[in-house]
Amino acid sequence: MEKLEHKFLKEYNYELGAVDKGYTNRTLYINVGTHEIKEKPVTSLMKDKFIGGKGFGLYYLWQAVTESTKWDDPENEIIISSGPIGGITQYPGSGKSLVVTLSPLTNMPIDSNAGGYFGPFLKFAGFDALELQGKAEKDVLIFIDGTKGTITIEEMPGGGVDTHILGEQLTEKYADNEEDKRNIAVISTGTAAEHTNIGLLNFTFYDVRRKGIRLKQAGRGGIGTVFRDKHIKALVIKCAGVKGDLNHPVDKLTLNKTGIKLHKEMHDLDNSQNQMRKIGTANIISIMDQYDLLPTHNYKFGAHKDTFKISPEVFISKVTQNSPDGCWHGCSMACAKAADHFELKTGPYKGQKVTIDGPEYENAAGLGSNCGIFDPDVILELNFYCDTYGIDTISYATLTAFVMECYENGILNKERTGGLELNFGNIEANFELIHQMAKGEGFGKIAGLGIRKMKEIFAKEYGADPQFLFDIGMEQKGLEFSEYLPKESLAQQGGYGLTNKGPQHDEAWLIFMDMVNNQIPTFEDKAEALHYYPMFRTWFGLNGLCKLPWNDIAPADNKLTDEPAKIPEHVQNYVDIFNAVTGKTIDKFELIRQSERVYNFQRIFNIRMGFGKRIHDKLPYRAMGPVTVEEYQSREERYDQQLKELLGYDTTGKTTEEKIKVLREYREDQYEKLTDAVYKRRGWTMDGVPTVEKLRELGMDLPELLEVVEKHR
Amino acid sequence: MKLLAKDESLCIGCGECEAVCSKTYFKEISPEKSCIRVGDQKIQVCTQCGECIDVCSVAAISRDKNGVVRINKKLCVGCFMCVGFCPELAMKMHGDLLEPFKCIACGQCAKICPTHAIHISEEA
Amino acid sequence: MIKLNNRDCEWHEGLTVEELLRLKNYTYPRIVVSVNAVIVPEEAYASTVIEDGDKVEAIHLMAGG
Ligand code: SF4
Ligand code: SF4
Ligand code: SF4
Repeated sequence: MEKLEHKFLKEYNYELGAVDKGYTNRTLYINVGTHEIKEKPVTSLMKDKFIGGKGFGLYYLWQAVTESTKWDDPENEIIISSGPIGGITQYPGSGKSLVVTLSPLTNMPIDSNAGGYFGPFLKFAGFDALELQGKAEKDVLIFIDGTKGTITIEEMPGGGVDTHILGEQLTEKYADNEEDKRNIAVISTGTAAEHTNIGLLNFTFYDVRRKGIRLKQAGRGGIGTVFRDKHIKALVIKCAGVKGDLNHPVDKLTLNKTGIKLHKEMHDLDNSQNQMRKIGTANIISIMDQYDLLPTHNYKFGAHKDTFKISPEVFISKVTQNSPDGCWHGCSMACAKAADHFELKTGPYKGQKVTIDGPEYENAAGLGSNCGIFDPDVILELNFYCDTYGIDTISYATLTAFVMECYENGILNKERTGGLELNFGNIEANFELIHQMAKGEGFGKIAGLGIRKMKEIFAKEYGADPQFLFDIGMEQKGLEFSEYLPKESLAQQGGYGLTNKGPQHDEAWLIFMDMVNNQIPTFEDKAEALHYYPMFRTWFGLNGLCKLPWNDIAPADNKLTDEPAKIPEHVQNYVDIFNAVTGKTIDKFELIRQSERVYNFQRIFNIRMGFGKRIHDKLPYRAMGPVTVEEYQSREERYDQQLKELLGYDTTGKTTEEKIKVLREYREDQYEKLTDAVYKRRGWTMDGVPTVEKLRELGMDLPELLEVVEKHR
Repeated sequence: MKLLAKDESLCIGCGECEAVCSKTYFKEISPEKSCIRVGDQKIQVCTQCGECIDVCSVAAISRDKNGVVRINKKLCVGCFMCVGFCPELAMKMHGDLLEPFKCIACGQCAKICPTHAIHISEEA
Repeated sequence: MIKLNNRDCEWHEGLTVEELLRLKNYTYPRIVVSVNAVIVPEEAYASTVIEDGDKVEAIHLMAGG
């Protein structure tokens, strides 16, 4: 292993302090350009209205930037924060770090969460959040030693940046011995983050059973790109002696009991429910295919005859471990899977045997079926390179699928791609594309800009039809779609379209409720779901929690409850653990209000940056219905029937083009009506701006927010 | 393998075992802090099956040379996954303690049991 | 004709819950089935016969993803 040379630029000492009821009541600010380091107090306004995690991130980012700040201005910040519950070891899914920055893809705030130990360690080292601002001249590394109370900024020129190597090297370097490695957590990215807009951050944790680092990603929105633009190579933190009471909760017994209750559920029921411990989120690949929801060939179709080749069973056989892993202590859901001793077949690390974290559902669906690839080893290797090169698998997959459709349509050709034959299913070209992104060369450099920029380029340079590009380019607000096919579910179109950060299903996944169960038939029903679920799920991000243990397991008697989809017992668990940590006395309604405050704040932040209005909530038609004749005809019976039943439209003798047009008008109109209903339910104007009354009602009538909404009334 | 074997039909539920266990390890008489629990002709105690070993993600649980499953408190982070996953419900939690606790087959309770419902077995 | 999730659905004599789920290709592992508002446990899928005009719900529990 090469030796890492570091030159110290700045050293800072601080009092270690203690956590009190989930908060250290202090945050850390580091400017990598000026080397200024300071501590800031956490105010009661911050705790009351922003809670923590992504709430703190948005709060600080608002203060750091102005309307005209761009992602690559030095003022832009990256804020990392866990949240008051973050770091407890008793309840599954309590170790997430939330990262917030201005995104190079959307030019507005993005938030993304990651497992790994950094967030909890940061708190135990003494800080509720870390703000990174400025731009370093040369590559730097920041080391926070939470065992001693020192922070150093070190110059670190040269050497590799790809995470699977750097993460290991740094863990080695900063640990005193093998035993100490569990006390180190690293954040870094990879070479492709420097050359694309889709860079991600890798968060490590040391796996004591495997004796190696594991990687978890804050993937969405190009945060890794900002990280490298600031010339930060890595953040390293050290923290020893993790125990169940480091948050100094007011009621540890409740945490223990609530956690054990869920562990027991996992033990008794996971095998007959989602098999998260065995397969993780990849369990749903086949199911999505069977329900015609698996994105295939750039979201044209929802199923493929070869899906069995990448079924969960195939991946189980690849994942060599038999000990399920969580991404933080106490996660008995343990969805963190890995394939060991995987020999790479391409690229600079060809021949190396590596451990590959994953595959998660999104990776398998995106890198696989959406690009027409049904080879599990190829999916694993692409997954590995996305991670170590530091790019977001979802954006990579979705933009590659877009490029492939453009290639098959003649918008791109061999000349324009520099020789890459980017047909659906072309494995070789796909690998070449990702390696080009890492080198910042060739067509990879263009593709790495993201779909939004590519659409502009293809229209301008190649004369492609902008409408067609808009229809098939699966991005909204600049962010690439995640991997579900929302065509047949209006509510899910809302779940993708009416979001704060872009089409990411982490706000709401309503496809079954809507399309299959028919539980939310009216616009009002859908609007209620598109209010409740996004708010409920926002709350995880305020507290450092993972969403999966909420509903990827359910108590045995859940089906007998009044609202099984909400998993009422688990909602109560969250209320209980929040109160047990913080000593507050919220109920399930206040929980939603806590989220609403931050959700509306983020919406207004978007508006302040020039986005976040109705026009920005429009969707590409590929997300709503069949764009092409090929698509329509593949599900002709279904669409014809809908035209007859819903519109009384007589399809006999009509051409496919005519039918597409009528169906499109209908579906687009439905989406507009849904938008009306959702805005109304959320307390927004018909242009999507939160009303003053709504802000008052929530206690969010802060002057800086009122100023923005008044301007956009 | 050394373990505390039981014959539930002999148990009269007197609770002597619970008392001596909690006294030995926690210096107080409290059934809540006993590694063995009795009642209703049921004796709940670790069978040393070892399932909890794999559940622990920080490798804090292991088998000692006598085959007894033991917790290394220094490594334990108090997640209590092992408690939820124990098929015998014999891994225990108490609010005063940061780590779980379990029977280590020391035999103190067997010595005091008036009906010989429990004894130390050393069979392979 | 029966109602399945409040939509019309074909029916035939002797249709069981198990068969209905198979016909609809409902393969998701966490489905809660009720016939006329009475929940049918999984063990009884094969033996529960659906009558003409019954109201059947097959609720897929997933608001996740
Ligand atoms: S469910 Fe998975 S992602 Fe969530 S906390 Fe557990 S291991 Fe991490
Ligand atoms: S505590 Fe439970 S799981 Fe562990 S060895 Fe004893 S009986 Fe088995
Ligand atoms: S409570 Fe301690 S011994 Fe039990 S699984 Fe957690 S870390 Fe391991």
